Amino acid sequence: MVQQFLPAIGSLFGARILILPLVFLCCSACVSFSSMLVLAFICGFLWDAQHTLGAQGGDPNIYTDPVESLRFGYSIILYAMMGLLMQFIQPLFRKAKWHISSILAGIAIFSYLFTEYLLLNFIRGDFTFPPRVLYRIYLTSALTMLFSPLIFWIIHQLASSCRHNIRYEGLRQKHRYID
Amino acid sequence: MKPQNLIALLLFIVGAVWALTRSERSVRNIQSTYYRAISPFLKGGAAIETKASEFIQEVEHSKALEMKYKLAKEELDQKRMEVAHLRKLEAENTHLNQALKFQENIPFHVLAAKIIRRQPSTWWHTVTIDRGDKHGVGVQLPVLSPEGLVGKIDAPSKDTSTVILLTDEKCQVSAKVEGTPEAGIISGLRDTAEESPSLLLRFLSKDANLKPGMLVFTTGRGGLFPPDILLGTIKTFAPGPLYGEALVEPAVDFTTLQTVFVKIPKPLTSAREIGAATANSTKK
Repeated sequence: MVQQFLPAIGSLFGARILILPLVFLCCSACVSFSSMLVLAFICGFLWDAQHTLGAQGGDPNIYTDPVESLRFGYSIILYAMMGLLMQFIQPLFRKAKWHISSILAGIAIFSYLFTEYLLLNFIRGDFTFPPRVLYRIYLTSALTMLFSPLIFWIIHQLASSCRHNIRYEGLRQKHRYID
Repeated sequence: MKPQNLIALLLFIVGAVWALTRSERSVRNIQSTYYRAISPFLKGGAAIETKASEFIQEVEHSKALEMKYKLAKEELDQKRMEVAHLRKLEAENTHLNQALKFQENIPFHVLAAKIIRRQPSTWWHTVTIDRGDKHGVGVQLPVLSPEGLVGKIDAPSKDTSTVILLTDEKCQVSAKVEGTPEAGIISGLRDTAEESPSLLLRFLSKDANLKPGMLVFTTGRGGLFPPDILLGTIKTFAPGPLYGEALVEPAVDFTTLQTVFVKIPKPLTSAREIGAATANSTKK
């Protein structure tokens, strides 16, 4: 719901704060692998429900070259990939290196938008990557990243108020943890 | 990998495949349900956003006055504020009169709608309007303004609808250039700037004699848009190996657009019709 009230900033190449992906990323760093997949499915589903465009429509004899769109459901896969990235750095939380997770959240958002734009180019053909697109991706990632400590703090406050212990098990075995 | 994780992964893959293989109709139903659920928040958010923007404008205006007329008397400031307010009301009145005239003069039925949200997604050029199924708004209906074509309805829900703007690459319109036999397909550009967008008119003759400033209108072919709606003016023309392409400056200023008109098959006049449309949209 909060995402609905965050408009694009025209003066920053249309960059915006992506709250839903950020909350998902921060949660991904705090929950188990299976919970992360459930979250990825829900968030990706909601994201696509809001953003997927419909078919071209009109007379196919006139509109002979319809422009394709990304299929409903693609975000579920992209969210899962971002979540996987965050799962690998769970052990850093135990070492109280939350700032690395914040930076990684920014990197994950950058990768997500970059992949999304590449997919768009792939299905529509005619590859273009102007500087303004790079600026938009970069500024969106940077703006979103700035809010990640706040989201992490809220998650921890919620966990402590519910007396829930975040275990940060990650995907790997203990002896393989990144220190 | 733990068995629990493996099961979760398998279930996730099944879920993702299920989502990816949804038909257009199913996706539309999902989107309609989603927008129906969030429309109260959208409308509330739009009202808050309007108030906040008015407040910011007021603050900026006050600051500018304070800097410029530091030594002016309080009474004078008050008068100026009143004049500014009256001018704002006058401008609003002119705008509404234009809209009313437009609505009265066009040869088809239109429904006035207010833009409640701009550019909600990263890559698509879309806006959300405060009219939906229950007002008679349907998918693919043209959206106009007194200046020209704005776009078409992409996803209507009960109370609101998403409009895909002419500046989006996916919004294709059959277009013709005034005073020439040239016709083609116009659409937005993928990397166009929101504040100064350009449109691309393709499939023209490679030796077309087009000059900057020529007007581009809809042809009415293709079953989506009515004929002779202004789209923009030619900026440049570039002949290609097979076809010519022209860059077109849109007639509509999309950044300041506030009220738009949806071309509807016929207006919903009676309360009974509105009730029936509401019931239909609820069933969907």
